[in-house]
Amino acid sequence: MYQYNTVDQQIVDERVEQFRDQTRRYLAGDLSDDEFLALRLMNGLYIQRQAPMLRVAIPYGLMSANQLRKLAHIARTYDKGYGHFTTRTNIQFNWPKLEEVPDILAELAQVQMHAIQTSGNCIRNTTTDHFAGVTPDELEDPRPWCEIIRQWSTLHPEFAYLPRKFKIAVTGSAEDRAASQVHDIGLHLVRNAEGDIGFEVLVGGGLGRTPVIGKVIREFLPKQDLLSYLDAILRVYNLNGRRDNKYKARIKILVEAMGVDAFRDQVEAEWQHTRDTELRLTDAEIARVKGFFQPHPYEALPAESPALQQQLQSDSDFKVWFERNTRAHKVSGYRCVVVSLKPLLGAPGDITDRQMDVVAELAEQYSFAEIRSTHDQNLVLAEVRQDDLYAVWTVLTEYNLARANINTLTDMIVCPGFDFCALANAKTLNISDAINAEFDNLDYLYDLGDIQLNMSGCINACGHHHVGHIGILGVDKKGEDWYQITLGGSGREDASLGKVLGKAVAADEVPAVLRKILETYVEQRTDEERFLDTVRRVGLTPFKEKVYASAH
Amino acid sequence: MPLLINRQPAADRWTLIQPQEGETLEALATGVDALLVPIEQLDAAAALNPAALGVQINGDHSVAQLQPWLARVTLIAVEFPVFRDGRGYSLARQIRRLGYEGELRAVGNVGRDQLGYMERCGFNAFSLADDRYSPDTLKAFSEISVRYQGAADDPRPVYRQHSESTV
Ligand code: SF4
Repeated sequence: MYQYNTVDQQIVDERVEQFRDQTRRYLAGDLSDDEFLALRLMNGLYIQRQAPMLRVAIPYGLMSANQLRKLAHIARTYDKGYGHFTTRTNIQFNWPKLEEVPDILAELAQVQMHAIQTSGNCIRNTTTDHFAGVTPDELEDPRPWCEIIRQWSTLHPEFAYLPRKFKIAVTGSAEDRAASQVHDIGLHLVRNAEGDIGFEVLVGGGLGRTPVIGKVIREFLPKQDLLSYLDAILRVYNLNGRRDNKYKARIKILVEAMGVDAFRDQVEAEWQHTRDTELRLTDAEIARVKGFFQPHPYEALPAESPALQQQLQSDSDFKVWFERNTRAHKVSGYRCVVVSLKPLLGAPGDITDRQMDVVAELAEQYSFAEIRSTHDQNLVLAEVRQDDLYAVWTVLTEYNLARANINTLTDMIVCPGFDFCALANAKTLNISDAINAEFDNLDYLYDLGDIQLNMSGCINACGHHHVGHIGILGVDKKGEDWYQITLGGSGREDASLGKVLGKAVAADEVPAVLRKILETYVEQRTDEERFLDTVRRVGLTPFKEKVYASAH
Repeated sequence: MPLLINRQPAADRWTLIQPQEGETLEALATGVDALLVPIEQLDAAAALNPAALGVQINGDHSVAQLQPWLARVTLIAVEFPVFRDGRGYSLARQIRRLGYEGELRAVGNVGRDQLGYMERCGFNAFSLADDRYSPDTLKAFSEISVRYQGAADDPRPVYRQHSESTV
């Protein structure tokens, strides 16, 4: 993975001192609330319902064992012993003290980490496929490009006060595990007719109040032009995006208002000024960054592991976990392990300091000391020898990190909701608990197959409810929590927005409503048909009839 | 109002004239040497032939409107109605890109914590409210001493700063 040089280190170190001074001036009354707000947000610091919340960047979801240990240390020392992974693959701490935040940032800087631009109206953490570099179906590893974007966007002087936040995702394979089509910019590594690899560029995707699927504005962008083209898009947005209404300030609204062709024309016109300037990436720089993402020194191993076969036969729990929570690796003899942060009891995406230490240790012992965080709020040990899987599983099981539910109904994406978030309309964690309690039979979940359930506590859609096969949105009705259900969304390569099933349901009805939805699916499905495909084929009517039948 | 030019406290020789209903620019601008006007008044102001002519714009304007005047004006003031309105940063980049080398001044809601980025985008002058200026303010320029991106101050991104490669 990328290692800081002296320049990278100096930037984070100086940033810590700058923020320390800003905090000091704020506490001394020299800096207004409003101004400190903008500054602290650009360092990931919110003031939430309970306390400040600090969001730490995990660039493109990749961290070292040492870094994860540092996060565990921070959770233990400055917080209440846990953290929460987000859909931007970052981690949040819910209980830091404002005056200690500069110290936390200094601790992070010691391990090449920071909280820069994890919130605020600026360019946020770039995300990617959590199987980048190890998935067999990849055209090229997207992570070097994420790192190039990270450096370009970090403390960018021109794009710190955008109309609204700005999110970029990069993918390198045909399967889209990064929800790239619902990002402000989605970049897909593609090969053109001449055989060159470059980027397909999408703009204007996003969720929130007005969900939109991104539109292609350039089918092929040569790699060297990546930054100059991003620069042009950002400048057109910064100058023209709406600033009078925060719900209309994202780039998606600008693209819709101008029309994608007019938007493209402006970007291309702006780009003509910059494409052949210093912004053009040098081959030397591309090669330098790629050098940090070379394949690990894998052992030459046979595809079949007799030890593994034997363990799979003798231990059915292990077998179930193997089938649900591990994935193919491009190198023979290795597998990717998904560490489930979706236990039966507990908030999706939460992890304790002890669990962080355990995962760090497993990574060191079995997976080249690297860990990835996923956009669906799990962790990945991406490079485990098949022979070691049983040992890894045993430890994960001991620490409640091996629930064999990946890609099933209970592998939910859930935002923190009203319990933590100041913007929330409704609670989410009580609903995820209720869903876990209602659907605790794993065999039933396996029979249902792959289902993505996403839940948000308000229209800001941090839980990506629009692109869940099943989406749940918390709404406030006269002071009570109600939940609106959508079906048929997808954040993958076949991206689509869910459609509203009908009127919202009360909190205690959610599990029963879900059960009816799933029963309808089981009645309607053809052999092997995924939930999403059934919904797409039969439409919402049968689901509506079943769910709302008794209510009439 | 404290003014910084090239990181030094400076006296302001310019007078901003904004005629209201019933007032004429001519009447107000008599005797003014260094005349600063909103872009809407620029034609009229130029006709008065002041010793020095400056123009004030904000995020609603575009550099295209400004371009014909770049050789004539020696001050361009970009107004930030609120510090969150980041359009002025892009305007500054575009103004410098067009070759303008005169004074480029940030006015309006300008605070210490914006100065570093503003300077990098091409501003070399900053007008701050009295209560937002202290000698300490000058430190803002050197808080972050290294940078990844090229910008108006140095067009080379970090990877071109130390290598010979221009491929
Ligand atoms: S979706 Fe709403 S409630 Fe949930 S984290 Fe985002 S802002 Fe908070």
